[in-house]
Amino acid sequence: MHTSNFKWLRLALILLLGLLAAGSPANTQPAKAQSPSTGMICTTGTNFSLTAESGHIMMPDMTTMFMWSYGLAGGGFQHPGPVLCVDEGDTVTIILQNFLNTPTSIIFPGQEEVMANGVPAQPEFNGPGGTLSSMTTSAPPSGSVTYSFVASRPGTFIYESGTDTKKQVAMGLFGALVVRPAMGADYVYNRSDSQFTSSEEFIAILSEIDPYLHQAMEQGLNFNMNNYRARYWMINGRGFPDSIADNGASWLPSQPYGALARIYPYDAGTHPYPAVERFINVGTEDYPFHPHGQNGIVIGRDGNPLEGPGGEDTSFEKFAVNIGPGQTWDVLFKWHDAENYSPSNPVPITVPDLVNVALGEFFGGSPYLGVTETLPPGSTTLNQCGEYYIISHNHALHQLDAWGQPMSGPITYLRIDPPLPNSCP
Amino acid sequence: MKKHFSRRDFLKLAGGAAATVAGVSLLPQFLRKTLMPDQVVNAAGDYDLYFAGTDGWMYNPPPYISPYHPDVLAPAPFTNYMFGFRDVTHYVDSVGGPTAEEKVQNQKMKAQHNAPFFWVNQFDPGNPVDFKLQVTNLGLQIRPDLTDPHTLHWHGFRNVIPFFDGEPTGSVAIPTGGFFTYVYRPRDPGTYMYHCHVEDVEHVHMGMTGIVFVRPLQDGQSFGGFTKFAYNDGDGSTGYDREFPMFMSEVWLKARWNGAHIQEHLWADFKADFSLLNGRVYPDTLLPNSPIDVAASTKSLVIQTDPDTGDLIPNAGLEHLQSQPHSALVTCEEGERVLLRFANLGFREAAMTLAGIKMRVVGRDATPMQSRDGTDTSYYTDTVLVGAGESFDVIFEAPPHSGGSGPDTYVLYNRRYTQVSNLSDGGAAGQRTEVRVYPNGAIGPQAYFNDAVLY
Repeated sequence: MHTSNFKWLRLALILLLGLLAAGSPANTQPAKAQSPSTGMICTTGTNFSLTAESGHIMMPDMTTMFMWSYGLAGGGFQHPGPVLCVDEGDTVTIILQNFLNTPTSIIFPGQEEVMANGVPAQPEFNGPGGTLSSMTTSAPPSGSVTYSFVASRPGTFIYESGTDTKKQVAMGLFGALVVRPAMGADYVYNRSDSQFTSSEEFIAILSEIDPYLHQAMEQGLNFNMNNYRARYWMINGRGFPDSIADNGASWLPSQPYGALARIYPYDAGTHPYPAVERFINVGTEDYPFHPHGQNGIVIGRDGNPLEGPGGEDTSFEKFAVNIGPGQTWDVLFKWHDAENYSPSNPVPITVPDLVNVALGEFFGGSPYLGVTETLPPGSTTLNQCGEYYIISHNHALHQLDAWGQPMSGPITYLRIDPPLPNSCP
Repeated sequence: MKKHFSRRDFLKLAGGAAATVAGVSLLPQFLRKTLMPDQVVNAAGDYDLYFAGTDGWMYNPPPYISPYHPDVLAPAPFTNYMFGFRDVTHYVDSVGGPTAEEKVQNQKMKAQHNAPFFWVNQFDPGNPVDFKLQVTNLGLQIRPDLTDPHTLHWHGFRNVIPFFDGEPTGSVAIPTGGFFTYVYRPRDPGTYMYHCHVEDVEHVHMGMTGIVFVRPLQDGQSFGGFTKFAYNDGDGSTGYDREFPMFMSEVWLKARWNGAHIQEHLWADFKADFSLLNGRVYPDTLLPNSPIDVAASTKSLVIQTDPDTGDLIPNAGLEHLQSQPHSALVTCEEGERVLLRFANLGFREAAMTLAGIKMRVVGRDATPMQSRDGTDTSYYTDTVLVGAGESFDVIFEAPPHSGGSGPDTYVLYNRRYTQVSNLSDGGAAGQRTEVRVYPNGAIGPQAYFNDAVLY
């Protein structure tokens, strides 16, 4: 019952800009392959120079939010931290420079024998016998620390602050680490049944924000974490509709990662392998993420393939992927129209006159993939070529909110393009 | 000039054809199509089920909290505002009285929670049958300022086109007074849920939620001594004697009140005051179903309705539960296998504990507990964690009766005590019910879905 023309105007702008960008010659050049408009953007290598610094992001209710985040040295502020992609067996070195006014650090849950400044990383305490101040070796303000470890097993992992964790992770100090298996970059694990379509790899980093905490940090005030209460929920550092804007959208300069999953329908001959979504929860409670229209196959959690002692498959299908705090879930998925509906195999109902239904913003006017129809006078659509938009969202529905702006937050879409060749831009 | 077939024409045609419809609707679908011209089929109800979305009032127990509970606008004995679906499939024209469609229109402001339980047989490619669900939107009587459309989203349906998914931004939604027919060919047995997906934060919380499940093709064959199964197991491992829904939803009193009083709230402040099981809070969960039309309950659990008005008929003395017709009581005989179909459309995870009987999880999110290579991943537990939007198919075997008089009673409850207090101390409330185990032969077979025998 809450309408917001503002939100949909903004969404229209996002889609329009995306369309213009997609149509420009620059984006048809090979450079696009390095930075596709959708899908997981990897920062590759084995030596990473990261910063911990403050900056601002844009919220879906058109406010800005003061954040702490990891970034690439010299790359400016970004949120969330870069997605670091390494290969199984790599010795990974990460130098963290601390530009915050408080000590900070990085822990790597799932990585073993992490070294800090050349010695085993150890917790820090407030003086001898004192309370824990950091779960790992920290860098003082204006200082740095160098971590290294061998990425010994493939999977999806979190990296996040190990210092004053409740506050620092909430402020945004987190990112993703993806370890590619020896079997190949288009496998999630060293299992043949974990193969995916390399152009359909997605990540969903789920987080939350209490604006009062961030306001206090920005103003240099104290904040009692016992009063912490999330009021925004995010996916890849964005809320809907920003979540479906392109990677690197110019109007979100410090939020480079989109969450739209753009795929082609499953076809045994031409498109046989599934897509993969790497879910990460860096919040404080379970996030039950519900993709419409398909059951994901959960093949791994926390960097462990779901398999028995004899290698037997123990994966499972889910239509609600209930990810706990600090967990990562690797989910294969694909979509096809089970009925192959088309103008020559029509839906077995009389399609209502479009003036007598409420039209969705993404609806192309036809039930059929790749088909668009003329809409009633006065109607507009963001649909481009008869593609399908199938929603995917957190089902703790009160979290689909941006502090009073409902139907925002952790919502994204699965965009299904008609099989090639198609008329899509 | 091409003339559009308007809604007015549609209603006229529906009225004129209604007499034909009553008889023809009993015919098998293929005959219906042969006997009736296309237009009449569509106008007159070419559907398996017909649901209407509207608003209404429900009951939650004391203690009362001013001003939210009871809502001053709520007509006694009801207490809180809601939206919901009603099953209006079985209305017929009254001789000299209202037509079926007039009775449907008369159900505006008479929503039900939870929404009707319905089920569909697994699609059989060898004998293909479409399942058609027609939905209409009666509007929101208490909020004439709103023109919210409705949809019906079958949550978890695989490989469905957006047109039949019920998610409004990618497809179409049903405006006030409008109709839409969803077509399903479900290929995957198991327990699902459904809800309106228009502004789903609100429409789900307001109560447009229920369970739908798919019966496996294997039903009717004999495996392991059973003829009814949760899945196509091939060995009877998911066979059962009785089945019960355990549907979870929530009421945040302030938001319900705000809905009726044209006020807003921040969803980030969400706090469930009542946690419901099959649309009721304990101890109302133990009270019986409203009178059931057993003969009509072939595709949905049909509550008896007044032949003149179409209103739901409550049990005598339970008029306050008129719009909450579903019991959550489980009764069975010792040694029987009982299937519980859990689905959660509340916003928070529930920890459903059956004290004293272990449960075997045989399905999750409408998928049998079996991996891609066939490895059995079913497991035993005392507590099933059901997250928002998740479903679980759970089977337990009723233990031997202790030999005393009356049934042995086991408590089934949400172990998250902070979520189930009914606003009162002690935690013995909200999502809580009982499993009552009787001696062999004491209660006879289950007569219909969610049939619990009361003594």
